[in-house]
Amino acid sequence: MPMRILPWLIIPPAAIIGLGLLLQGISAIDSQLYFTWGYFLEVLIAGTLQGVMYSLVALGFVLIFKASSIFNFAQGSMVLFAALTMVGLMGWGLHWTLAFLATAGVMVLLAMAIERAVLRPLVNQPHIILFMATIGIFYFLDGFGQTLWGSDVKQLDIGIPRTPIFIFEETFEGGILVNQFDVIAALVGGALVAILAIFFQKTRIGRALRAVADDHQAALSVGIPLKTIWAIVWSVAGIVALVTGVMWGSKMGVQFTLALIALKALPVLILGGLTSIPGAIVGGLIIGAGEQIAEVFLSTYIGSAIQDWFAYVLAMLFLLIRPQGLFGEKIIERV
Amino acid sequence: MFYREAGQYKSDYASDQAIFPIRQDRIGVLLIFLFALLVIPFIATNYLLNSILVPFLVFSIAAIGLNILTGYCGQVSLGTGGFMACGAFFTFKLTTWMPEVNILLIFLMAGFGTALVGIAFGIPSLRIKGFYLAIATLAAQFFLIWMFTQNPWWTNYNPAGVITAPPRALFGNFYITGIEATPVNKYLFLLCFTAALALVAKNLVRSALGRAWMAIRDMDIAAEIIGIRPMAAKLSAFAVSSFFIGISGAAWAFMYTASVEALAFEVTRSFQVLFMIIIGGLGSILGSFLGAAFIVLLPIALSNLPAMVGLRLPVDLIAHLEFMIFGALIVFFLIVEPNGLARLWQIGKEKLRRWPFPY
Amino acid sequence: MSAVATAAAPNQNQQEDGGVTQNTARVFDEVLLEVKDISLAFGGVKALTNISFDIRKGEIRAIIGPNGAGKTSMLNVINGFYHPQDGTITYKGQVRRKMRPHNAAKQGIARTFQNVALFKGMSTLDNIMTGRLLKMRTNMLLQAIYWGPNQREEIRHREYCEQIIDFLEIQAIRKTPVGRLPYGLQKRVELARALAMEPELLLLDEPMAGMNVEEKEDMCRFVLDVNEEFGTTIALIEHDMGVVMDISDRVVVLDYGRKLADGPPDEVRRDEEVIRAYLGVGH
Ligand SMILES: Nc1ncnc2c1ncn2[C@@H]1O[C@H](COP(=O)(O)OP(=O)(O)O)[C@@H](O)[C@H]1O
Ligand SMILES: [Mg+2]
Repeated sequence: MPMRILPWLIIPPAAIIGLGLLLQGISAIDSQLYFTWGYFLEVLIAGTLQGVMYSLVALGFVLIFKASSIFNFAQGSMVLFAALTMVGLMGWGLHWTLAFLATAGVMVLLAMAIERAVLRPLVNQPHIILFMATIGIFYFLDGFGQTLWGSDVKQLDIGIPRTPIFIFEETFEGGILVNQFDVIAALVGGALVAILAIFFQKTRIGRALRAVADDHQAALSVGIPLKTIWAIVWSVAGIVALVTGVMWGSKMGVQFTLALIALKALPVLILGGLTSIPGAIVGGLIIGAGEQIAEVFLSTYIGSAIQDWFAYVLAMLFLLIRPQGLFGEKIIERV
Repeated sequence: MFYREAGQYKSDYASDQAIFPIRQDRIGVLLIFLFALLVIPFIATNYLLNSILVPFLVFSIAAIGLNILTGYCGQVSLGTGGFMACGAFFTFKLTTWMPEVNILLIFLMAGFGTALVGIAFGIPSLRIKGFYLAIATLAAQFFLIWMFTQNPWWTNYNPAGVITAPPRALFGNFYITGIEATPVNKYLFLLCFTAALALVAKNLVRSALGRAWMAIRDMDIAAEIIGIRPMAAKLSAFAVSSFFIGISGAAWAFMYTASVEALAFEVTRSFQVLFMIIIGGLGSILGSFLGAAFIVLLPIALSNLPAMVGLRLPVDLIAHLEFMIFGALIVFFLIVEPNGLARLWQIGKEKLRRWPFPY
Repeated sequence: MSAVATAAAPNQNQQEDGGVTQNTARVFDEVLLEVKDISLAFGGVKALTNISFDIRKGEIRAIIGPNGAGKTSMLNVINGFYHPQDGTITYKGQVRRKMRPHNAAKQGIARTFQNVALFKGMSTLDNIMTGRLLKMRTNMLLQAIYWGPNQREEIRHREYCEQIIDFLEIQAIRKTPVGRLPYGLQKRVELARALAMEPELLLLDEPMAGMNVEEKEDMCRFVLDVNEEFGTTIALIEHDMGVVMDISDRVVVLDYGRKLADGPPDEVRRDEEVIRAYLGVGH
């Protein structure tokens, strides 16, 4: 699918500037609202970087959905499970790199187990049944992880620096405060996407997976059994969950709420379009930035904790206009 | 007496279309109801009433509601908790505003209020389907809970953000909410109320509206081509479903827990009710009851069983095990019998019909 | 395929055909539906280009053409599921605006589908009862109460559906979930559902595809009976040229979205272009 570049160069900056001007206008009328361009950009950047984290979870969803049309509700609990396992292994004295590798192995085993115990018996069932089965996995993994490793909040420290830094100190008064951790998280996210892109473009397995995504019949002709493909995809999604879990976990501690925060990836997903990796990324950035700006600039008017629902309502309203999401393929129905 | 339908010829369409066309079923259901009405109040302990039967009835109403939307009309919703909260808070506001109005009427009004909210959040279903819609209903869940937590107006400015059920009588001295309400009163009221609501649901799903819902569920394009307006069918399903769920939320807050905060209706509540209808049986009123019973009893069984065999497990471990077992059971049911307990029950009846002479 | 053989070798078959058909004598004047200059495209794919023809009240109108010719798309346009980019549709003398399928249903257009589109989770009877929905009047409150007006209405419509069930000889599967029925019966139930709507115009998309000879004969008989007993106008898509020749009054031929020929079956069968089109696809 050829993508037109120009709109993407114009629309986002235009939207950001437009939003800024709007808020500036409001603050001119109403002194309750504090607005400077430096502050606005700071909030925007913080939100966008937060959005990268949502994108990471959404990425795992998209991988599985593209390859198997399964909407994997359990991606969030896979994040929690991976993080819990890694912290647990580090607690046994393993260096974080070793723990990371070992956990990656666990995630592959988990993927195989899920394929064997859940997906294979349910093959050819309606999508909705598989969807509900992944809700079952969601519950199971949440319980399993906490049964194994306990439910207290755990620190996960792999040595990512946390000191905030200031940028653009000449342009804006006081500069813009940026969280170093978030920047690194974004870089890791970018690296992960790059690695996945190479995997899908260059390796034989990756190309086979792409073939499945396009056409299940075609995949069979590539000569790879569907169940292997599913196990591989779930493994890849599991490793994406692990990376996500490490980033989220080091940011806010490893705890049950991780699985619920990961639910935020759902609106990201439908905003971006279920089958699109760029959609997952762009969707995450929009939602991250959007909810941060709403929280900071709207809470004086409608109360705080807007972040609880903003992403969902934004995605819902957006879908009313464009039901297939930003990058999703237009759904044409036929009889 | 054998369980047979042979010899019971239906002479007219009315009896062929009856809820329980087989006489033994009719008698059985009547006996169960009479037992529940006339015997249980005298023999049940307060624990049985308060911790098992009342929540069972409350959840049954919610499960019937969600089953109408998801099981009959095919629109997956994850917003159940939000709609239950609507019912609870609407009831609270209405009954503190108009204490003289009968509580039954208040419940129904809260149900209608929730139906309106349900219609509003059902509008996306006209444009989006399936997974997209399921996620969009999460907007209802999170937005509504936020609204009730953020606005002290909803709790009449209670500093703890909690609503407490004021004493209200159904008639005379028959209190069903508040401290004066005895467990038996609550139970009896809920029993009759739930039975009436279940009857209404059954009537709807076996009439024109129900067939329109099922047509939309099974093949929406064909449904539209035979003249069903998708908007009317889907929004009516959202409305009726939310009506039931709202009433269930009101009953939860006023009769089960007696005092409640919005967080009691978090997203986990939505999943819980969804599980009930999956386990009980999608598209089955009976299944809604079976699923509710299962989900109410399972945690109780889980927390008592280890103790019964002499094991002492820490509370949080039990909670985690419960999660695991729930999840595994969901998967198990979907694999073994996607149509849930209701279908198993039906298969059992088929067997019984052949018993003792299988041919 | 036998259809092609018939079309490709009109001369041999011509004599045998003589008196079999009931159609050649029938004359229809009143136009029920007229499509004019209809064009429909999906992105770059032109499904229909400048199609014009009419359907007269009381006739059986066949639409034929190779796969991908645009036949199904044509039916979809007629019942409002696809919206053509160009052209007008006149139904019962009135030019139709852009409409949704349920409006078409309300105006008396019913339809069956190439790939059976039954409601899989419902019984045969309930499927047929959905065809009555447009005729049912009781409101939600009365339905919630059930007993009284609603029950009377249910029974009234049940009686009508039972007539159709008798007519199509599907009494035995009344209570069977349609998902469990064999393909041939599913097609019959779908016809029953369409008939329950008491349509004025019935669109049948390959009603006999995938059936064995016996089932085909049954279906032909039903189509003719419906046309005769209820006076329903029928437009049907069919590949079996023998069937088309036997039961249709007039035939319109589509190929690559264009109209190739239009006229009585005998005439169409002799048309040079039609013969070429059928040979061209290489059957
Ligand atoms: N919803 C749709 N989206 C895209 N292309 C379509 C759609 N419906 C039909 N077409 C295309 O229009 C052409 C005609 O299709 P159709 O009407 O189904 O043919 P027929 O019924 O004669 O076999 C085909 O090329 C088909 O691919
Ligand atoms: Mg076709």
